[in-house]
Amino acid sequence: MKGYTLENGTVVINRDLTELDFFVKSFLDVLKKHSGFLIVSGFVSISTGRTRGTEDVDVLIPLLEYEKFKEFFDDINKHGFWCYQGNDAKEVYSYLQEMTSVRFAKKGEVFPNMEVIPVTPKRKTKWFELNHPQDIKIKNFAFKVSPFEFEILYKEIVLGSEKDIADARHLRDFFKDILKNEKFKEFEKIIRLEL
Amino acid sequence: MKPMANLDYVSLYAEMLRENNKFFLQQKMLIDSQIKASSSLFKNRFAGKDFKTEARKYLRAVGLLKP
Repeated sequence: MKGYTLENGTVVINRDLTELDFFVKSFLDVLKKHSGFLIVSGFVSISTGRTRGTEDVDVLIPLLEYEKFKEFFDDINKHGFWCYQGNDAKEVYSYLQEMTSVRFAKKGEVFPNMEVIPVTPKRKTKWFELNHPQDIKIKNFAFKVSPFEFEILYKEIVLGSEKDIADARHLRDFFKDILKNEKFKEFEKIIRLEL
Repeated sequence: MKPMANLDYVSLYAEMLRENNKFFLQQKMLIDSQIKASSSLFKNRFAGKDFKTEARKYLRAVGLLKP
């Protein structure tokens, strides 16, 4: 069987769930009740087959109003997560207001963690990603990631570490049958605004 | 013959995965074992202590949390 198939625009990865997938799924099952989200960076490559370890999974969310954030914070605590930055919603929200990410891990664990990155329209590239999701499904685990062409270019042009270049190469080769040149051209203009 | 570089292996593996999903099994083994090892390491390290307090001390020391 092929590594992935395309079903009505959703990329279905044909594999079993890993412990990392179960961790991300348990977090997103709570988050999606309270907010929109988009997975970016390493987990996009890893979830599609890149064989490397990771300690954090990056997730973009729109900057929430405090009351909405508190509802999420209380809910995620009830579902067995703790926050690196503090035990109190108000204290943790102050980081988000400063546009600083906050991290959550399972209670009794340090890694992996979910790095929650707040985004507003002022952060043009991240806001664009958040509003142009690509759906992915692995068994019963459905989530949204940035468009693969965007993710590849962001890793190659903005991030550029050895790990990022390898992640980008993986995505280019794994998805070579569905990547579109016109999207690369469109997204490169947006990404270069960030430089 | 030119030796393969790291990126060549990344490409080769991605192509193998694209064509045959049985190669995902190796990836699952690596990821699952990493998570189990990390869990075991920190449970032992902070055993008998207040987990969050000790974890935050560690996270500050490695720069993942502001002092």
